Amino acid sequence: MVCMKQPTTAPDVERDSAADEAVEADRPWLVIVWNDPINLMTYVTYVFQKLFGYSYEKAHKLMLDVHYKGRAVVSSGPRERAEMDCFRLHGYGLWATLSKSE
Amino acid sequence: MKLNATEAAILRDLVEQMRALVKESDATDPIRARLFPDAYEDEEDAAAYRGMTGGDLSAVKLEALDRVSESLGNEGSKRIALRQDDAEAWIRALTDMRLAIGTRLEVTEYTMDLEPDPSDPSFDALQTLHWLGWLQERILEQMVP
Repeated sequence: MVCMKQPTTAPDVERDSAADEAVEADRPWLVIVWNDPINLMTYVTYVFQKLFGYSYEKAHKLMLDVHYKGRAVVSSGPRERAEMDCFRLHGYGLWATLSKSE
Repeated sequence: MKLNATEAAILRDLVEQMRALVKESDATDPIRARLFPDAYEDEEDAAAYRGMTGGDLSAVKLEALDRVSESLGNEGSKRIALRQDDAEAWIRALTDMRLAIGTRLEVTEYTMDLEPDPSDPSFDALQTLHWLGWLQERILEQMVP
């Protein structure tokens, strides 16, 4: 897809107070897929359909976002589920990271 | 899908190389880093995630390699009919092979678009990288997500 980009800004997770954690807990975790120059567009589209049950149209659009914008949020939710999605993407060789939504 | 003896031999060799790479634990190896990416920018979170999932991710990758190895058999050319779950293992293993080769060659989207130059020392590896992609797309055409 395009050239390699390093993940840049993941928000700092504040863990100092219970209050902060309660607020933190309400914000979902984002699963982000980053562009890489090796994986094929057809393959990336297939993986989004397969893992998330997205239609071809939605998966294709997400793939194009990754390709042209350098990254795309492909799913979001509670931390545990986001981590599982990230794991499954790594199992398919996609470059996925997690960050807290702003 | 028909693989001639040379193609099948290349794949058997790559399966062996990938097994070694997946089992390797050198975190500074860029190929290792690409096959097992950090899930978090924060180093502590990344390390915790790696501790929790790293073993399972290795197992998933090794299982895919085992499936490919089984389909290929020990020697000679091969006519391969893949069931959906085999095909799934194949496209994953082919991806890891492509990631390893592409990372080692430090390819960019620009260099991936160029026609490989026979005088380039990386010519053979680039040809293999493109061939693996071609193979992957032939398998994908038969698959239903």
